[in-house]
Amino acid sequence: MASFLVLFRKELRGQLRTYRLLIVVVVFLVFGLGTPLLLKYLHVLIPADEAIIMPPEFTATDAVKGYLDTLNQVGLIAAILLAMGTVARERESGTAALTLSKPVGSGSFIVAKLAVLALVFGIGIAVGAIGCYIYTVILFENPGGLNFVLANLVGWLYLLFCLAVTVMYSSFFKSQLAAGGLALVTLVALAGTAGLPVMEDYSPGALVGWAQGIATGSGANVWGALAVSLALIVLTTIMGWQVFKKKEL
Amino acid sequence: MQAIRCQGLSKRYGSIVALDSLDLNVEERVIFGFLGPNGAGKTTTLKILTGLAKPTSGSVWVAGEEVAPNSFALRSKIGYLPEEPAFYNWMTGREHLAYVGQLFGLPSDDIERRCDELLELVDLSRDASRRVGGYSRGMRQRLGIAQALMNKPGVLFLDEPCSALDPFGRAEVLQTLLRLKEQATTIFMSSHILADVERVCDVVGIIDKGKLIVESGVEELRQRFAHPVFEVEFEEPATAFVKTLGSLPWVVGVESEDVSGLRVRVRDVARAKQELPKIIAESKLTLRQYQMVLPTLEEVFMELLGNRKNG
Repeated sequence: MASFLVLFRKELRGQLRTYRLLIVVVVFLVFGLGTPLLLKYLHVLIPADEAIIMPPEFTATDAVKGYLDTLNQVGLIAAILLAMGTVARERESGTAALTLSKPVGSGSFIVAKLAVLALVFGIGIAVGAIGCYIYTVILFENPGGLNFVLANLVGWLYLLFCLAVTVMYSSFFKSQLAAGGLALVTLVALAGTAGLPVMEDYSPGALVGWAQGIATGSGANVWGALAVSLALIVLTTIMGWQVFKKKEL
Repeated sequence: MQAIRCQGLSKRYGSIVALDSLDLNVEERVIFGFLGPNGAGKTTTLKILTGLAKPTSGSVWVAGEEVAPNSFALRSKIGYLPEEPAFYNWMTGREHLAYVGQLFGLPSDDIERRCDELLELVDLSRDASRRVGGYSRGMRQRLGIAQALMNKPGVLFLDEPCSALDPFGRAEVLQTLLRLKEQATTIFMSSHILADVERVCDVVGIIDKGKLIVESGVEELRQRFAHPVFEVEFEEPATAFVKTLGSLPWVVGVESEDVSGLRVRVRDVARAKQELPKIIAESKLTLRQYQMVLPTLEEVFMELLGNRKNG
């Protein structure tokens, strides 16, 4: 546990010093503020005489739905970009060997990385969500505080799943590109399964729709997808750890 | 008591044999120089000894612990400097040492004190607050040595510790190694700089193509494995004298340091002692210096590996 905390603090400091935390926060904040703003003033941006079809008047629900859509799409790309090198880069550069020649477990090494990435995305989503909420209240109306928080939590959980998959691939390969590419293919394929019968209740991709449903007060709860996602987060972390443990540094 | 013991250590990467039944014993409190040409298996051996790689077969004990991957007991007792030490470039030198101290679970007061000591030892005190990303290769090497010493290891593994250092840095590191040996540390170092090995190592092992060719004390090695050398220096150029020596059956080779300074390697030292002064006298050259010296470790190394290549 002690070595986990040392590694966790080191990872967190690394995210701060290399501005990764700041970048994630800025990205989510831009989309948090930008989505309600864009929907509110879309009809102003498109002059009436040039528009073929005039956009409808958007509501607070549309703003929140749009924000959650962007959160998951941009968040997925950000998760892959940030996590694909987290282990692979350290193996390639030799810093993993330097750390793991000390009395540190490879499990702590992997879990600390995932935990800090989860925290970074949690902070990013929290800041983005606060921005989105304030602008939606100002520009439209109150979208409902509790549901909005729950929707963001589900969105964060989906991104945590994306991070876990990417960290697992990063533990498998020395190449960041291989890790990122495979993570992208896996996550896009899994997102696609959310549209299939039966799978729509269990696929991690169903969390995206569920988050929107919570925010807009529509759609059914997909507890099965939640359970599967949590199980897969644990499973991919264990797989990443076990494979990494056998690697030569 | 043995600090390091390997039995039948082999390592294969597919069809490539990196180590072939390596048996090695290193006594406590010695500096062991591990030599060999590029690709001989030195780094692979170091990685196996530190638990960073698994052998295909064989067993290893270091500091009384059987080496196994993820052995915390082993890692607590050893220090390791890789060939090209890598650091988090965003950390400062002091932060990196503190981080290593935390990984060893040292109390924060001890970490502070140890950081000061080690930064002083490797002459990085003035640059301790600079980011490692801005360090030169030599500074990184010195920081690597410092981090390997953080836990006051019983056995210290160094992969080419002097490779990136200037002559002053090398001299300081070698002095540090001798001091550590006095403090009961066993040091296992690989190096290409044979003069350094000769200067500090008590015992050397020479490895080639994954096989240990020889393991011996430095002096013993020089006595056993290389031809004695006569250093001869004249006031005048000695081209004709070199030609004369080249035709003698008891002369192995003549190396010219300059036109008048020669190193004559001989096969039969008794005969050389008898005949060489006569030949010098007959040459009518003005003798400035004449002495018999032991061969350098480099000459032993070249001879041993040369014989293997030729044989």
